[in-house]
Amino acid sequence: MRRVAVTGLGFVSSLGLDTRSTWARVLAGESGIRPLRFSSFPGEAAQIAAEVDLGGRPRTTRRQSFCELISLMALGEALAQSGATLDRFNPARIGTFLAAATSGLPAGEGYVLDRLQGRRGHPTEPIFQTPTTLTDAVARCVGSEGPRSTIMNACSSSALAIGQAWEYLAEGDLDFAVAGGAEGLCRTTFGGFSCLKAVDTEPCRPFSADRAGLNLGEGAVLLALEPLEDARARGAEILAEVVGYGATMDAHHATAPHPEGHGAARAMRLAMEVARLAPTDIDLVSAHATATPANDGAEAKAILSALGSHAAHVSVTASKSQFGHTLGAAGAVGAALAILAMRDHVVSPTLRLEHPDPECPLDCTPLVPRERSVRAALVNAFAFGGNNLCLALRAWEGR
Amino acid sequence: MSPEIVITGMGTVLPCGNGLEAAREAWRTRTPAFATLPETLGEGRGAACTAFSFAGIIPPMVARRLDRGTRFAWVAVHQALAQAGLDAKACGERLAVAAGTMTGGSEATEPFIRPYLDKGPEAASPMIFPNCVAISIVGQISMGFGIKGPSLVQLQRENSTLDALDQACRWLRQGRADAALLVGTDALFPLLVELLKGSRLTCRHGDPLVGSRRGYLPGEGAQAFLLETRQRALARSAPILGSLRIAQRASNDPSSTGRGRALCLAAESLAFRPEAWVGGATGHPILDDLEQVVREAHPDWPDPAHPKTLWGEFGGSGGQLLAAALLDPARKVLVTAPSSGGSQIALALEKDGA
Repeated sequence: MRRVAVTGLGFVSSLGLDTRSTWARVLAGESGIRPLRFSSFPGEAAQIAAEVDLGGRPRTTRRQSFCELISLMALGEALAQSGATLDRFNPARIGTFLAAATSGLPAGEGYVLDRLQGRRGHPTEPIFQTPTTLTDAVARCVGSEGPRSTIMNACSSSALAIGQAWEYLAEGDLDFAVAGGAEGLCRTTFGGFSCLKAVDTEPCRPFSADRAGLNLGEGAVLLALEPLEDARARGAEILAEVVGYGATMDAHHATAPHPEGHGAARAMRLAMEVARLAPTDIDLVSAHATATPANDGAEAKAILSALGSHAAHVSVTASKSQFGHTLGAAGAVGAALAILAMRDHVVSPTLRLEHPDPECPLDCTPLVPRERSVRAALVNAFAFGGNNLCLALRAWEGR
Repeated sequence: MSPEIVITGMGTVLPCGNGLEAAREAWRTRTPAFATLPETLGEGRGAACTAFSFAGIIPPMVARRLDRGTRFAWVAVHQALAQAGLDAKACGERLAVAAGTMTGGSEATEPFIRPYLDKGPEAASPMIFPNCVAISIVGQISMGFGIKGPSLVQLQRENSTLDALDQACRWLRQGRADAALLVGTDALFPLLVELLKGSRLTCRHGDPLVGSRRGYLPGEGAQAFLLETRQRALARSAPILGSLRIAQRASNDPSSTGRGRALCLAAESLAFRPEAWVGGATGHPILDDLEQVVREAHPDWPDPAHPKTLWGEFGGSGGQLLAAALLDPARKVLVTAPSSGGSQIALALEKDGA
């Protein structure tokens, strides 16, 4: 197995259109969750979300979905940082691994609305704006003629996409890969989580005793990945290593996690086993932490179970307090914060954590960033259907 | 050397009827299953699973929460596990599920979003929303059969299930699972049929015919395959239906020549001389032209047979091609799966001493 390095990170979020501005605002304690400005969901109780502000630039066109647009922005940043000369690679050994986003769903909603209002609609838009279209667009920009994977695992999709890219690179099947996910707001997801009573009308409060649900968010994170030895040979800046992942199912409930977090704990243990990390090697858990009453409690139990007594020494952070729940992109957003924490030796805060839930007895980095070295991190991403994914990342220490 | 992956169980829900015998007979006689669709599935012609029944397999209280595609998948998984003689619950954490679908999730989206748009948020159904997410297919199967290993749902247009196959094989080779269920499922619904027709993808007269450039007809169904390493299959004396190798290539040249060349490279990389060839051409020029590139490059290969001209497009998102290859009496079967975007996929299926 080859070691796999992250050499590029592109981050488009509700806090900024690149990694630098996003990270600076995260460390300044800012939240991207605000009153809706670019999307309209009349009649919904919640009128807040973490929207990406493109500064007046059109969010969609007939030929390009919002997710495609922000994916390509994130890709541009990741590739520029990586500095890889793509045309030196065999195109068949470049892969593209993305989460299936809502992508063309707004086009489908638009078609149904047209029909309801007696208009003919544009049937070709929803047919051709599938999540695969997004993967193909990113692949074309990278010049990839290798595998193009589009994963529809809902909220764990982008974490698995990064895991897939790691597998291909580690097994020697590819020489370069881009992986991650993008997400935009749409009526189906906003209305869906709302009707499940999972949405908070106020900014969400992960791990708080008074947490009352999630906020939805937008964003894109793409990573450039390559074999560590190749990255070192060309003198690339190595941001972190991807060292493995664990994947499990709860087989418990269609939308709720196992209350004891059994499946999630197993995913975390598997990730450490694959990565050859002991619990004592872990300094950070980038938690899924949606801020729903059921999820955070089960995840806290999972962390305690997987890390045992070492859990007391681990920092936990909840990216959804800044970025809302970015669904398909959520795992990649969590990974981005873990990578930046390892690079800069500072853990991002869990905002609005003023009344910690005693049922979640962890150091959840309340309110302000925490300076500490992070040797290795676990990134949790859990999805409907009891689908659990945990990514393992390791800091690059120069050897 | 990486371990050989074999298929030890198969289940099919196809428009030609439930179960393997119906499928084998329909494939042997090359009987098309197209007819006027029931009103509930859409307006026009297609290949619907009108004889489908889940009685005795899915508990009625569970079935009412499942969409059509998930019910298909459940029944196909039940058949595959039975043929393979595997107790899924006992396998639990060591059994993986990799699924592919083109329409999964979308089937529920229309009944969810139409009332939402028409009457407002209070009309949105919390019962329907979870099915708008394709992973619910796998979630329901994991709950129904007690499966707790790794899982994914893959989307790759016409080839979603064959893309998922690659991941299932990786999990087996890495030792993350002892066995993996590969599931392909798609269901017809009125909005899909309307959109396909409105986009001029479907043929307006007669049945689809490869090379006619008339378009395809939509179909539905599910296929499930139990995959294991040969070593494990032999150890538990499981029936071995065939062994599998997969190759995929993409192209950045969007022309049919460019993508067809990618399909050709994928097929050639298998270094396999087929006795029979199952092709993914549908009657629509996009896919037919890609397969034609391979035919012209390999005139010595047998003529391809086309399941999608019998059972419709989607209908398992590539799973029906693998099912046809297993149902075919030939011992060495090549499967080429052209795609209107993304990866072009080829499979080599070799049956033991058949």
